[in-house]
Amino acid sequence: MSRPVPRVLVPSEATKGELLEVKAIISHQMETGLRKDADGKVIPRKIINKFVCRYNGVDVFVVDLHEAVAANPFFQFYLRASESGRLDFIWQEDGGGVYALAQQLSVT
Amino acid sequence: MFDKGPTREATTRRTLLLTGAAGLATAALVSPTRANEERTDLAEEPVALVKRLTGKTPTESERMHLAMPRSFSNGYSVPLALAIDSAMTESDHVRSVRVIAPRNPLIEVATFHFVPQRSQPRVSTRIRLAEPQYVLAVAEMNDDTLLLAKAWVEVATNGCE
Repeated sequence: MSRPVPRVLVPSEATKGELLEVKAIISHQMETGLRKDADGKVIPRKIINKFVCRYNGVDVFVVDLHEAVAANPFFQFYLRASESGRLDFIWQEDGGGVYALAQQLSVT
Repeated sequence: MFDKGPTREATTRRTLLLTGAAGLATAALVSPTRANEERTDLAEEPVALVKRLTGKTPTESERMHLAMPRSFSNGYSVPLALAIDSAMTESDHVRSVRVIAPRNPLIEVATFHFVPQRSQPRVSTRIRLAEPQYVLAVAEMNDDTLLLAKAWVEVATNGCE
C-alpha cells in the first residue's frame, strides 16, 4: 500500500467566535482484518484508529475509528474560532504509524 | 419505506442467524483479542442493545439528527451526517457520539468526541455497511444521559468484504 497522504481544508483567517468548517481526509485502505487473500489467509487488520484535531495544543475534536469507517476516512467538522494559533491534525494507524499536518489560523 | 426494516428482518432472520453464528465462530478463531463486538442478536432492539453495551437506557430524542440515505448502491462508502442541538456550554453539552451498525460483522463504527465552547456536535463522514439495517447514533451528554437516533439504510452490496 502506498504511504497514506493526509489533507485538510480549513480557513486560514477567521473572526473571533466564528464557526470554522474543517474537512480532513487521509488516503488509506482501512484494511478491516476480515478479508482473505487468494490463498485463503486472513489479511491482517490495518486501520487508522484515531484522529485528533488540536487547537493550540488542546484536543478539540477526536474520533475513535473502527473497521466500519470507509476507506480514505473523511471527516467534516466544526470548530469555534477563539484565538490565533496553530491547528494540528493527527492520524494514528495500527502498528504505531502517525501522520500529521499543521496549519496556522489568524483570528481577529 | 421506513417500515421495510422489520419486514426484511422477519423474512431473512433464520438465514442471517445461521451465517451470523458461523461468522462469530470464525472471527473468534482468527482474532480472540478483537475489541470490537461481533454482530449482535438480530432480535435485539436498539434501546436494549445500547443498554447492554453501556449499562444505561437511552432516550430517542428530537435533538439528535442522523441523516443517511434510505438506500445506497454500495455498502463500501455510505454517507453519514450527524448533528445534535446543543448550546455546548460547560453546563450543557455533548461529550461524545458513538455510531453503531448492529448488523455489521463488527458493530462499532466510530466515536466522536466534542469539547464545550470549542467544537460543535456536528460531523459528516462515510461508513461501511454489510447489509440493510438501522444505523444507531448514541450521544452521551455531560449529565451522563444518553440520547438515541436511528436511520434505516438499504445497501445493495456488502461493504464489509
